Amino acid sequence: MIKLALFSLLIVGYSSAQAAGEFAFFEKEIRPLLHKHCYKCHSTEAEKVKGGLLLDSRHGWETGGDSGPAIVPGDAEGSLLLRAVSYEDGDLQMPPKYKLAEHERAALVKWVETGAPDSRVSQVVERGKGTDLAKGREFWSFRPVVNHALPKMNPILVQEDNLGAIDRFILARLAKEGVEPVGLAKTETLLRRLYFDLIGLPPTPEQIDDFLADPSQEAYARLVDRLLGSPQFGETWGRHWLDVARFAESSGGGRSLMFKDAWRFRDYVIDAFNDDKPFDDFIREQIAGDLLPASSREQRNEQFVAAGFLALGPHNYELQDKELLRMEVVDEQIVTIGRAFLGMTLGCVRCHEHKSDPIPMDDYYALAGIFRSTQSLVPGNVSGWVARDLLLEPVLKKAVDKHAAETKEANVALKAAKKELLQLEAIQSGAGIVVDDLHAEKVGEWMKSTSNKTFFGDNYIHDKGEGKGQKKVVFTAELPETGEYEVRFGYTAGANRARKAPVTIGHAGGPTTILVNQREKPPINNNFKALGRFQFSRGKAVVSISNDHTSDVVIADAVVFMPIAELEKDSGLEKRLAKLRGEVDRFVRRLDMLKKTKPTDLPKAMSVQDEKHTGDWHVHIRGEIRNKGAVVPRGFLQVASKTKKVAQPTIAAGRSGRLELAEWVASGDNPLTSRVMVNRIWHHLLGHGLVRTPDNFGKTGELPSHAGLLDWLAWRFVDGGWSVKGMIRQIVLSNAYRRASTGESAGQTDDPQNRLLWRANRKRLSAEAIRDTILLLSGQLSMQQGGPTIRKFSQYDLGYEFDTVRRSVYVPFFRNSMLEVMEVFNAANPNVTTGRRTETTLPTQALYMLNSPFVNAETRRAGERLARIDATDTVRLRIAYRLVLGRPPRADEAGLALEFLGQAGTRGWTVLLHSLLASVDFRTLD
Amino acid sequence: MEYPTHMQSISRREMLKTTACGFGSLALAGLCSQGGAATGSTTLLQRSPMFAPRAKRVIFIFMAGGPSHVDTYDFKPELIKNHGSDYDFTGVRFGTFGKKSKRKLMKPLWGFKQYGQCSQHVSDLFPYTAQMVDDLCFIKSMQTEGVAHGPSTLFMHTGATNLVRPSMGSWVTYGLGTENQNLPGFVVLQPSASKGGPRNYSSAFLPAIHQGTAIGKAGQPASEATLRNAVNPSLSHAEQLRNLQFLQELNRAQLARRPQDDQLDAIVESYELAWRMQMNAPEIFDISGEPESVRERYGIGSKATDDFGKQCLMGRRLAEAGVRFIQLNYADESTNPRWDQHSNMPLHMDHARATDKPVAGLLADLKERGLLEETLVWWGGEFGRTPFSQSGDGRDHNPRGFTTWLAGAGVRPGFSYGSTDEIGDTAVLNPVHMRDLHATILHILGMDHERLTYRHAGLDVRLTGVAGEVVHGILS
Repeated sequence: MIKLALFSLLIVGYSSAQAAGEFAFFEKEIRPLLHKHCYKCHSTEAEKVKGGLLLDSRHGWETGGDSGPAIVPGDAEGSLLLRAVSYEDGDLQMPPKYKLAEHERAALVKWVETGAPDSRVSQVVERGKGTDLAKGREFWSFRPVVNHALPKMNPILVQEDNLGAIDRFILARLAKEGVEPVGLAKTETLLRRLYFDLIGLPPTPEQIDDFLADPSQEAYARLVDRLLGSPQFGETWGRHWLDVARFAESSGGGRSLMFKDAWRFRDYVIDAFNDDKPFDDFIREQIAGDLLPASSREQRNEQFVAAGFLALGPHNYELQDKELLRMEVVDEQIVTIGRAFLGMTLGCVRCHEHKSDPIPMDDYYALAGIFRSTQSLVPGNVSGWVARDLLLEPVLKKAVDKHAAETKEANVALKAAKKELLQLEAIQSGAGIVVDDLHAEKVGEWMKSTSNKTFFGDNYIHDKGEGKGQKKVVFTAELPETGEYEVRFGYTAGANRARKAPVTIGHAGGPTTILVNQREKPPINNNFKALGRFQFSRGKAVVSISNDHTSDVVIADAVVFMPIAELEKDSGLEKRLAKLRGEVDRFVRRLDMLKKTKPTDLPKAMSVQDEKHTGDWHVHIRGEIRNKGAVVPRGFLQVASKTKKVAQPTIAAGRSGRLELAEWVASGDNPLTSRVMVNRIWHHLLGHGLVRTPDNFGKTGELPSHAGLLDWLAWRFVDGGWSVKGMIRQIVLSNAYRRASTGESAGQTDDPQNRLLWRANRKRLSAEAIRDTILLLSGQLSMQQGGPTIRKFSQYDLGYEFDTVRRSVYVPFFRNSMLEVMEVFNAANPNVTTGRRTETTLPTQALYMLNSPFVNAETRRAGERLARIDATDTVRLRIAYRLVLGRPPRADEAGLALEFLGQAGTRGWTVLLHSLLASVDFRTLD
Repeated sequence: MEYPTHMQSISRREMLKTTACGFGSLALAGLCSQGGAATGSTTLLQRSPMFAPRAKRVIFIFMAGGPSHVDTYDFKPELIKNHGSDYDFTGVRFGTFGKKSKRKLMKPLWGFKQYGQCSQHVSDLFPYTAQMVDDLCFIKSMQTEGVAHGPSTLFMHTGATNLVRPSMGSWVTYGLGTENQNLPGFVVLQPSASKGGPRNYSSAFLPAIHQGTAIGKAGQPASEATLRNAVNPSLSHAEQLRNLQFLQELNRAQLARRPQDDQLDAIVESYELAWRMQMNAPEIFDISGEPESVRERYGIGSKATDDFGKQCLMGRRLAEAGVRFIQLNYADESTNPRWDQHSNMPLHMDHARATDKPVAGLLADLKERGLLEETLVWWGGEFGRTPFSQSGDGRDHNPRGFTTWLAGAGVRPGFSYGSTDEIGDTAVLNPVHMRDLHATILHILGMDHERLTYRHAGLDVRLTGVAGEVVHGILS
């Protein structure tokens, strides 16, 4: 039906008179051809129009698709369509799967050359509507953050319960929905929750006792401050950010390369959280640290390291299409910044306008211009990343400088001595009679070469190591006078040379043959070796070399006859030569020595730097790197900018625009940044974010459950100087954080997902917390902080043997292999920003807890420690429960356990601890 | 097989849940209801395909490094005739863009003969597989992305050369779940850690349950390949059972204090399943009980074929046990993977010798047991090799045209589809892109590659990206 309708439409503007004339060729040859080969993708009938190009009407090819007009009438050369069907351009080939037949292409060329008469007319088909930014800005996450007033509540209630702002927002909402919150969690439960949430480790029995002795509001606040002040806080919260930063210490993929300096970034992040570095500074440093002013050496270094954020991605450095690789890196940087700081999915905009969010392709390529102006790759067959030298601490710097100065000095001296030596040698050899190989008589095949650079004349020759006993070079000189001459033979040394090349000197006293070891460097000029002094008569003198009885390659370059008189005339010259040769040797030895003592492993940071050539970049049509569209001025997401001016700043010449981007992201005016970060904090403390998709604040993400509260927190966050610790403190002091995870409430039926926060969410213990606790119980956990932890000389991440007892955040974190416990218990996938880790319950986890060598060995250690405690079984059991679960056993549990211990014998305590560690109560955080 | 006693008294609540959603379902009951055939799920529950499937499972025999098609299955008389002549191959590698590149054609190093009723040409490299040609469906017009091993190997497994995407096996278990609740649904035997490494069998952003379970490593003997942590050497069976019972008693005491929570029930349940796997899995990987006649058929016991023969036999055992996607790897950890003969093509003989008999043995064994009727076998590398020589007697990578074969459920036996040009360089007749092959395999399993999607980063992502067409011409 549709076809029929279209057909009648097509014939509207087409009269039979014309058909007979100018359209005849088109109708006979071209229309069927286009129909057969092109309409499937390029017609209004196509299921999906490819590249926006329609070929079923004149208008279609005149306007063209994403790449512009397809046909220029009369100009076959300039018509994209013909270029595509010619199959000459590797990036533009149509039809995509096969080449048209020769006669078909010829017909198309003829048609275009004759002006492309086309009888088909049709209505204009609308293509790609612009993005409606004004409408887009109405979406909640793009609206400016508002300083919401606190919900009105009964003042007496507020005072009695000492309600803070957070609780007022939550209780007001609960009241509105008619859901009662449950009460606060038991002290022991809360304590375990707080310890794991803030420092990733359980409270010790002593710490539990201390707090039970004074569980007042003030004591709780003091404890919160103490935990926030402990170095383990940064190790735990730094890990959350490392998940977001898709941190890893290897590149992953094909040829996985080790990022041996990535640990500096890890330590930078841990320190930033421990120091409560204002989050806006933290952002600026990660996006543009290398471009920020620094007031000290430490700050400078920290900033270089921070910018490693951009360099740590999973890249296939061996990708051979280097232009593609460059764009993949740019893409990864844009995608990561989008998800990590803005909660935006930008990857899809590389190829087409965002399907759900108001982000046009121009925005993506505005950002791409910034990252193409940033150097992240070092060229090579297998490319590299940018490693920047860190400023050295004074003592080391002094040593390095001294070494450099000495090296320079020795190099200068060596160069001078060599130069003088060359000059003197030239004077000396100039006095002799020289016969170059060029003028020598060659017997057999000799090959010219210039590979070794210390030769005389234009080249030297060699016997190719072949035809032994059949080749000979005869050097004949015309000597001006009878007398004694020093004969010097010229060759180039090398490892494949003959050791016994026979050189025969035809002197007055009869021929003498001398075997020359051509592997040894010739002492004179690196080119000549003196063979001795011989008497010659005036006239012809012959020196020859053959390859008789040689193995390997025989070289012949030149022969010099040096009159003795000349040598003796200037014995001063000989002496000076000897002295200079000695000097050259000395400086060479000195440089060797300096090379050996060169300070190595100087600190470097994985980082980036601005490119030499910066500027705006093209849109890549459909994301294809070689299909370039219009140039887009560098800038930021328009929908998240108040005005066009904000989205498109003036970027001074020679600048990448990265610093400007950092400022835009870290601005309190950016509607996304502060909301995204406070939501991340909320997610880690409450188990779910107020927005449950912490990396996606777009339309495909979830809406905030408490939009007012989210804004209130975001406003406070910016207003309070972007203090992460301040925000955490505010949240953990709220009743919302301190509630029990169970209890009677209408919420059980009305809000089983707990969107209203009538109770606490039960959380899973992270892989890190599981491992660290086990090592803590076995007494093995090292609390050492920072520094490199990948074993030296490890070349591959694959098959790496993890053998550290450091806290989990310091365990080398690779893309191709992970410590088993991390993999099994869902540590973040380091290939993408992970704001929320996957939660699974798998038999492989159970197998790990039951049988893994790690759990077995450590629980045995822990069990033996426990068994050594001098106490009754009941007391010991209480200790075990408090160590693992932060609470004493209940009566029925004690009964079960004591009965088991009674039967189990010596290993009973090991099995008990093992079982407690595998139990539901340990693996979850109430 | 023994189970903890209380297994026999599963509560009605648990029983209902288990039978309703199956494996791992308790943990994810909320998601289970959303998961259907079209969307897949976070559980490994067996699901119905979208339409009638032609195969239940896949055995993929990966020949790492890129076997030469012109030396194995793609017989090219013109290539033999023009041996030694120069051809223009400008632009076949990115590094040579814009440079003229004349290369010398090199004829196959082995003779070809015709086999079977279908008269397929097979070279002397594969005398055993040649006997099975009437069961094979050749695709001689394969094309793929990338020219280096890393990108092409990733593309073959995940449909992307660089982006982190789920592996095909993950997509399959995501779409279909598993048939065996005591084993993982996607098993990869002895994978190489290089050329994409674990990313080749990773679930990427799909739920982690669809991650391929790697058994053993390339370079290690197949006899050492087994499920991780399935054995506890420090404890006797009785002790393990007793300890597990104690753990579950403690767990139940803990659960008794809490209102019902599926997530917690699931943890308790996972220990039961772990125990069942511990009882079953090692047995699957232990081939010592197979009769001598079977072992001989796979070449087990002969030096050249022993290792890959063991892999192939484990492959059959896994298929028999209902594993959904099984990948066998003829791979290693070197820079030049096994079939990667840039020089010294005669080395192909070693690789053929190591794999030919085991592969043919697997096919014959599957057929005899009736398993071939419901199993799709896929043999191939990440790309083929050039018809021109490199470094004297080698061949370079060729993603423009190569051969792969399928066998078993869903494909036409004794059939050959598509072809390369007369010298075997580029697929010209009915080219089948790797994406088309992906689409076709999903189709054979009863899934529409355009509808098998997962929402990630705001996009409905699919294995075939935005391309791929089912190759109807090879379907039985």
